[in-house]
Amino acid sequence: MSHSTVPRSRAGARAGSRTPDGSPAEAGGGRRAATSTGRGTGKLPFRLRFRRDRALVLMTLPAVALLLVFVYVPVLGNVVAFQDYDPYLSDNGFVAMFESPWVGLENFQRVFADSAFWHAVQNTFVLFLLQLVLYFPVPVALALLINSVVRPRVRAVAQAVMYLPHFFSWVLVVTVFQQIFGGAGIIAQTLRRHGHQGIDLMTDPGIFKFLVTAEGVWKDAGWGIIVFLAALSSVSPDLYEAAAMDGAGRWRRMWHITLPALRPVIALLLVLRVGDALTVGFEQLLLQRDSVGPGASEVLDTYVWWNGIRNQDFGYAAAAGLVKGVVGLGLVLTANKVAHLMGEQGVYEK
Amino acid sequence: MTPNSAPSAPSRRSFLASTAVAAAAVAGGTPLLAACGGGQDGSKDGTTSGKDAQKILPAFVASSVVTPDLPSKNGSAAGFTRAIDLGALKTSVPKKLGAGSGLKIMSPFWGSPPAGDNAYYTAMNEAIGVKATWQNQDGNTYDEKLGAILASSDIPDVVVVPGWNLNGKIPSAINAKFADLGPYLSGDKVKDYPNLAAVPTDAWQRSIFGGRLRAIPMPASYVTNIAPFYRKDVFAKKGYTLPKSPDEFLAWAKEATDAKAKVWACDDLKWTAFNIYGVLNGSDKALWWDLRDGKLVNRIETDEYLEALEWTRKLYAAGVVHPDAKAVKGDASNRFTAGQSLVFNGDLSYWYGSTAEQRTQKTDFEMGAFDIFGPDGGDPTLWATQPAGIFTFVSKTASARQIKDFLALADFCAAPYGTKEYMLTVYGVEGTDYTVKNGLPTKTTKGTNEVNGAYDYTGDPAAYLAHPDLPEIARLQVEWQQRMGAFTKKSSFYGLTITEPNRWTNLANDFEQLEDDIVRGRKKIADMQQAVADWKQKGGDDLRAWYKKLLDDNGSAAK
Repeated sequence: MSHSTVPRSRAGARAGSRTPDGSPAEAGGGRRAATSTGRGTGKLPFRLRFRRDRALVLMTLPAVALLLVFVYVPVLGNVVAFQDYDPYLSDNGFVAMFESPWVGLENFQRVFADSAFWHAVQNTFVLFLLQLVLYFPVPVALALLINSVVRPRVRAVAQAVMYLPHFFSWVLVVTVFQQIFGGAGIIAQTLRRHGHQGIDLMTDPGIFKFLVTAEGVWKDAGWGIIVFLAALSSVSPDLYEAAAMDGAGRWRRMWHITLPALRPVIALLLVLRVGDALTVGFEQLLLQRDSVGPGASEVLDTYVWWNGIRNQDFGYAAAAGLVKGVVGLGLVLTANKVAHLMGEQGVYEK
Repeated sequence: MTPNSAPSAPSRRSFLASTAVAAAAVAGGTPLLAACGGGQDGSKDGTTSGKDAQKILPAFVASSVVTPDLPSKNGSAAGFTRAIDLGALKTSVPKKLGAGSGLKIMSPFWGSPPAGDNAYYTAMNEAIGVKATWQNQDGNTYDEKLGAILASSDIPDVVVVPGWNLNGKIPSAINAKFADLGPYLSGDKVKDYPNLAAVPTDAWQRSIFGGRLRAIPMPASYVTNIAPFYRKDVFAKKGYTLPKSPDEFLAWAKEATDAKAKVWACDDLKWTAFNIYGVLNGSDKALWWDLRDGKLVNRIETDEYLEALEWTRKLYAAGVVHPDAKAVKGDASNRFTAGQSLVFNGDLSYWYGSTAEQRTQKTDFEMGAFDIFGPDGGDPTLWATQPAGIFTFVSKTASARQIKDFLALADFCAAPYGTKEYMLTVYGVEGTDYTVKNGLPTKTTKGTNEVNGAYDYTGDPAAYLAHPDLPEIARLQVEWQQRMGAFTKKSSFYGLTITEPNRWTNLANDFEQLEDDIVRGRKKIADMQQAVADWKQKGGDDLRAWYKKLLDDNGSAAK
């Protein structure tokens, strides 16, 4: 008990130095205005705002350039979704876009008529929901746990152990799981040595989606706590002290102080996650496709890859990818709307 | 790659890919029957054979530089069992043919490619008279890169394309992007390159893409390259006798499996099952078809296909297959050498590769390949693979000088066993890449890293097998091929390179996945029957008619 009543001094000091609503003229206030598309500041003329924030605008330029070249320009390539695109018609694939015949919505008709596509959609949504329920809360819980650890060394070691799997490639993660949970893995062999049946969790299509989620949790949940820890460190220790003085126990303090402090971050990440709902992992699923078959493992991204890269049916794959993009956009708009209704800021404000 | 196994296909090649390629060899061009057909200017799909082919095929001039100890028979490779007399190496390229052009070569590579400026590459460039720079790409994912590279405007000067990557739109890309080598090789012109002139006509026939001679082929034995290997040492120790029928095999497998001790009877044996049950060869789409009672039948429509899948399914269901094989993880040959599985099937080159690897570790390891039996235990019916499975093309933007220099390179690499050129291509630089011990060349660590398969496909002599350090293995390999070759038949489109019309090229792409689902118990045989019905309706029957017309117009090369 005594540990948590006095929050760590370093975090407290950092939190204390913040100016919650400083004047825009100050440097700190400027930063804040930029991150929250600031209240009130929107009324300033664009020229003034630009002059004030030009250093920040300059800093975003490299990222904007990357986005333009690798995200927005390739978006134009989506026109092949409306073509019977053959990249070999011309000396290079780009010029071939002008020479390939237009087929209108034929590719889309084929996509919607393909039962494998709908199967991939179904797998994608099931996996998304599973990850939302089983994966998303884990980093929050871990962050709360880490936050309650006071001894810096224990905390550092725990954090390092949790972060580490993030840096493993999926090939390695899948191999490690195979070595442990596979039919000839450590668990199966130990069971056999003691006269039991072996188990094989890696080739069972029925539990595959849980397996994928478990791998995701092991690999990335530790990494996911960073954002939440940052949010937690901004909570003023005064609040905890005041609550403790008023007789609030550990759970009440978590419920009334910690969680409300995390709420905007959770809402933001949730909206982003929903917008990304149709992206449930690509490499991880591709690597295990043969273990359980496409019936359990095919998701939209692997479906697009299979048809576009493996079968070189580029127009068709582009159509499927475009459908995915449009649905994803719809989802993020909806989730953002819901966030607004709940009084949160979401990804952007109107 | 291990010494001498070079021209017989990469031993580490993953079998992820739709198939099999052949390991080796073939002698003598089967004369191609039949009249003219596709291949006229402008026609992109179809094939070229008969008189049209005769006009562009290079002449054949047998090489007399070295005689093999085991001549080719029944379509086998030729075998060399004696060590090379390093004191009396022959010369097959008397003068440097290259004029010093730069050549960018993209090629599949299994393992870690060496640095570009290593002693071996430099010595090869010097000996040939070119400036070759390599773009070695991971062989397991080569098809994914190939499609993108061919769609770009920056195609390397020389591109190696394995036959199992000829999917989707790749064949039409080949016809559009690669140069016609006919003006340099057709008829007697090939005699400028004596080693290429000794390449069998069968293999050249396979190099005709879209009516033009576009590739240097890697000749291969037409006998199946997938051998069922067994642990000879374990069989002897445990007193097992070799099973002689599918039923006997299953019974033995149940007895031999001891999961508690981490021993399973076998790995995935789907490909061997196809051979046992006489399923039409799956290594090339044209080979999937055969004329039966006047009608073309596809391998997926045959009863044998379903029987083979059913038998493989039984193996999985009985729990005699290694669990990692069920999960399609890891390497089958490693499980085999580690004693975790007692039977696995793979390219014939594993026989040498695994044995050589285990010899260095001084284990009791001994392996053999058993003869493929028929469904009732009698003789099997095997179907021929194509007599060339890997092709090297030149970009159509290459200059005439570059093309000639590439041909110089191919001619050099196609030098037969026992020549100076062969020693440099397969072993590298003496003293740096290999040393001579007891009259046998032995690769150094540097040599193992550098001389690692880059030049395996860019020019090869008629298929041969030679392992001077393990001569017995070469003999066993050739003899196995000859015994299996005696049971091997050629299906209707054997020997031809056929470009299917684009609209049908993806029709059968999902069958391999479905096979794997069925044998692992995730799908039923009935699902396959449904898939075949869908295939017919979605274009399979049209494709049949298209192939039938091709057969009527061109005739068959085989039978």
